[in-house]
Amino acid sequence: MFPIVLLSVFAVVLLFLGFLKSRSVLLPATLLFLVAALVANFLDWNKTYLYFNSMLRTDNLSMVFTAIVLLSSFLVVALSGSFEDDEAAQPAEYYAIILFSLVGAIMMIGYENLVMLFVGVEILSVAMYILTGSDKRNLRSNEAALKYFLMGAFATGIMLFGMALLYGASGSFTLAGIASYASHAQQGLSLIFYVGLLMLLVGLLFKVSAAPFHFWTPDVYDGAPTIFTAYMSTVVKTAGFAALLHLLAASFTYVYSFWGIILAVVTAITLIAGNVTAVYQNSFKRMMAYSSISHAGYLLIGLAALSAQSRQAIVFYSLAYSIATISAFGVLMLVTRQRGMQTLSSNPLSNESFDAFNGLAKQNPLLGLAMATSMLSLAGIPLTAGFWGKFYMFSTAVERGQIWLLVVAVLMSAVGIYYYFRVIIAMYFRDGATEPIRISPVFRYVLVAAIILTIGLGVAPGLLQGLF
Amino acid sequence: MQPTQDVLIPEVIQQIPLTYYLILSTVLFIIGIIGVLTRRNAIIIFMSIELMLNAVNLLLIAFSSYKSDSAGQVFVFFIMAVAAAEVSVGLAIIVMIYRNTRSIDVGLLNKLKW
Amino acid sequence: MNTTYVPADYLPILIQMGLALGFIVTTMLVTHAIGPKRHSVKKDDPFECGIPVQGDARTPISIKYFLIAILFVLFDVEVIFLYPWAVNFKGLGMTGFIEMVLFMGLLLAGFFYIIRKGVLKWE
Repeated sequence: MFPIVLLSVFAVVLLFLGFLKSRSVLLPATLLFLVAALVANFLDWNKTYLYFNSMLRTDNLSMVFTAIVLLSSFLVVALSGSFEDDEAAQPAEYYAIILFSLVGAIMMIGYENLVMLFVGVEILSVAMYILTGSDKRNLRSNEAALKYFLMGAFATGIMLFGMALLYGASGSFTLAGIASYASHAQQGLSLIFYVGLLMLLVGLLFKVSAAPFHFWTPDVYDGAPTIFTAYMSTVVKTAGFAALLHLLAASFTYVYSFWGIILAVVTAITLIAGNVTAVYQNSFKRMMAYSSISHAGYLLIGLAALSAQSRQAIVFYSLAYSIATISAFGVLMLVTRQRGMQTLSSNPLSNESFDAFNGLAKQNPLLGLAMATSMLSLAGIPLTAGFWGKFYMFSTAVERGQIWLLVVAVLMSAVGIYYYFRVIIAMYFRDGATEPIRISPVFRYVLVAAIILTIGLGVAPGLLQGLF
Repeated sequence: MQPTQDVLIPEVIQQIPLTYYLILSTVLFIIGIIGVLTRRNAIIIFMSIELMLNAVNLLLIAFSSYKSDSAGQVFVFFIMAVAAAEVSVGLAIIVMIYRNTRSIDVGLLNKLKW
Repeated sequence: MNTTYVPADYLPILIQMGLALGFIVTTMLVTHAIGPKRHSVKKDDPFECGIPVQGDARTPISIKYFLIAILFVLFDVEVIFLYPWAVNFKGLGMTGFIEMVLFMGLLLAGFFYIIRKGVLKWE
């Protein structure tokens, strides 16, 4: 609750800070606001409260998810570097929109009522449409924004229809009310309840880009400015999975036999579609988009199983995934900027292809190390956080006895290793004319922090256990 | 035949069976979906999406009055307010594209492909 | 008062609609079928009612109109939150009043931001 109020106020303050002459105050102010929200988040630690007429709830799980979201956005904002190399940029507005969208994300994490879920999803999505199209002169950014907007609004419509049907069946928007209706599953529930649940799931799965609702993801991630792609692929995904987890765990455990198998099939399709298509990509950014689809698949394993371990597995996985993704996109930003200056190539795609990373590690050991760590973590190699994330996920599937799903997941992570290692091979074993890239101190701190967090969680995964 | 003056609105609504509302809003919703999937003009796709949202509003109002529960109507307020915000952002995006390409045909947008 | 209607009671409306639609369709079809069609440059020109057409009717208009229209939609729709509050003004009491003041305060902050951005400046 505290972070929501604080962030709303801070975002308005940031909008007005934008009227100041100097842009330099914006970045530190935003970082300060995020830290303040992070601290305020933990004020309710170890207590469970319901706020706003039981519309929102805070407990340890929701606070941990909020902390992940705030940490990810802290890292992304730190990497944005005030947008100093872009004349047309509007940093005050971008930061304010990021803070506003965080309010939506936190509402998605802690909702107790479908109204709050809808409002949270919309705050987050509408903010993302704007950020995707923020590069106004760039046709690719425009196109991505329009596609994202039309597809996102379409998904919202489907989600809303599902909510309306659930309301019609159960007579309530609260998760508890729906759960008490669903608890009569033995006597048979009305058909519109199941249809409503399906449509609500479709809407939410669309937001987290699970197959077969993933087709917008590559285009949007590719066209959006890289810094906002990093934001989208971490914060939106974490918040979306927190929302799905809470929805299914709080309201629909009684009808698990209905949605469990559907979600398992969706998981398998997502894993296959994401990983196999990622192999064929030549652009690093597009590869990361497909990789984010595949990671949605891994996160879905925990949902489809919904066992006792699922909460912990999803928290750990989303943290590991967020850190690795942000540092990968951070390195990509530096490399593209450098290439853009060197070649002034008219085709922006060539700056983002795998070849752009050739020989990177020789001249820029830190960048090479950061990228290698995050690739290893995303691939799930031991001694990185990603390994334990995958391990926890797979053990939830074992607990539920979904062995076939486990087989698919293991095979697909083997496929994943191939395309993640392409980057590492390009950086360490290929020759390329790269001069040392100048790294600003903030960038350096963020990358080092990401490396330490990834390795630290990989060596001692127990740090996060027992927190909630 | 005419309802008398003091008949409350929920009672007027309840003169028609709930199933009819369900069918009407489902049909409206499907028309919206078909519009989104088949049309190529961004504005018309956008209008189809609005049609979907309004089908939801109709359904919520019908359920709300049949259950004598105000929560459904409050939700409709939220949908309307949020849809307005969505409309403004969406139209701004469409205008931005129109200024760059002089067209709002979604078929022309094919820069992003692999 | 008859409170229950069966679908058959709506039959007159259906007949009315059918007649109206049928009339329009028949008229349009018949006029197209029996009227002679002769096109020529002179005939398609505007006749004694205006000037020759020049260019596209969709000329670009100032972005200001668009911005004002969008802002109107945004601020207009927020009023729907005022109606329920106004109806239950007494019942919601002081808490409701404070909440509404907060809401309006946020809205005003947005309005002030727009003015500072110069969106409403109309040269």
